[in-house]
Amino acid sequence: MPLAAIDWDKLLELVWAAAVAGIAVAIVFATLIHGATRASDERRAGRGGVAAAYTALAALAALGFTAGVVFGILVIVSK
Amino acid sequence: MSSDVVLVIVVASALAFDFTNGFHDTANAIATSVSTRAMSPRFAVALSAVLNFAGAFISLEVAATVGSGIVESSAVTTTVVFAGLIGAIAWNLATWYLGLPSSSSHALIGGLVGAALVAKGADAVQGDGLVEKVIVPGLVAPVLAFTVAGVSILFAYRIVGRLRPGPVNRAYRLGQLVSGSMFSLAHGTNDAQKTMGIITLALIAHGDLSASHFHVPTWVIVSSAAAIALGTYTGGWRIIRTMGTRIIKMDPAQGFSAQGSGAAVVLAASHLGYPLSTTHVISGAVMGAGAAKRLSAVRWGVAGNIAIAWVLTLPAAALIGGLVYAFSSIFGSGALGPVVVSLSILSVVLAFLGRRFARGQVLTADV
Repeated sequence: MPLAAIDWDKLLELVWAAAVAGIAVAIVFATLIHGATRASDERRAGRGGVAAAYTALAALAALGFTAGVVFGILVIVSK
Repeated sequence: MSSDVVLVIVVASALAFDFTNGFHDTANAIATSVSTRAMSPRFAVALSAVLNFAGAFISLEVAATVGSGIVESSAVTTTVVFAGLIGAIAWNLATWYLGLPSSSSHALIGGLVGAALVAKGADAVQGDGLVEKVIVPGLVAPVLAFTVAGVSILFAYRIVGRLRPGPVNRAYRLGQLVSGSMFSLAHGTNDAQKTMGIITLALIAHGDLSASHFHVPTWVIVSSAAAIALGTYTGGWRIIRTMGTRIIKMDPAQGFSAQGSGAAVVLAASHLGYPLSTTHVISGAVMGAGAAKRLSAVRWGVAGNIAIAWVLTLPAAALIGGLVYAFSSIFGSGALGPVVVSLSILSVVLAFLGRRFARGQVLTADV
């Protein structure tokens, strides 16, 4: 296999970019679920302050997830 | 007159390939969503078809790059393109019949390489291009997606593992609507354009369009978008079943991790201009999401069959493309060869469909 044909820099960039993007999506979405579920549980238990904190966490994660989706659409559209 | 007939046959073959491409790759976008019941099968294929159709209109950059850097442009005649398309269609149908996900793009490249090899010899194929654009991405895509999806699901379980499963599963199913849609849109943007590129190259070779100014006519865009959307809507259920339930039995979190990581890998590659196959990515991601939970959760026998299909895609499509070119050449360089091949294939397809209808089956019967 002619190894000279391989653009190693690009390949390395792909590996870390894909890893960061993929793992970030999973963490952000899991955090969104965690925040929303715990906020609902805490509200039901009458702990308004803790519920508000979890709601804020969920909102932040939702913002991050939406930003990721918008960035993905921009990548598709700008190709 | 003869070149007009060949052009019509090439356009029809390109649209047929586009249909099989959509049909074959439906699983990439919807298999995980269907298996985790994030969407009903009919809704999933309809959504994917609409987004594939829309994606085909977004950009035309890929259309100008079909086969470039792999097959010498001087070797690309309409008959070579025709033979390459038949090689790709045949391999797509064979792998669909066996329920094996494989790359339609690699099949198309393989078909073109085989036909060009027979037509012009080894000089017609650029080995470096083949390594850079097919072999290395073919190795990188599944390994990268496997690793990213595996790490992702471990993080996901760590974060949501102690929560009530009901809301968690509902949320992941909702998330799959987004990740599946992204996959479908990206697929339409990439794959429909290969057909547009093929038809445009045939029109340039025929003298209908200028070679100096690459321009895809509107009717080519619309017909290619329609063919891939129709293929997607028809749904290659055998492959959907393999991807969705035969590799691993997945829960909604695994489905989302596979699809989300897969979409991230595909879009990162797209952003960097690296050609990864969506089929290789999503298959690797599904295996990764399963293996991270428990190694024995993955049916390695099925995974092995899929890997064998990937390895065989390029040589098998090349072999068929080369044989079709050689057979067509027996009838001279005119339209007779492609006409004979097309009529023979049509007869076989009609006989196959006739048998299925006689048994009360249709292509989508195995939902």
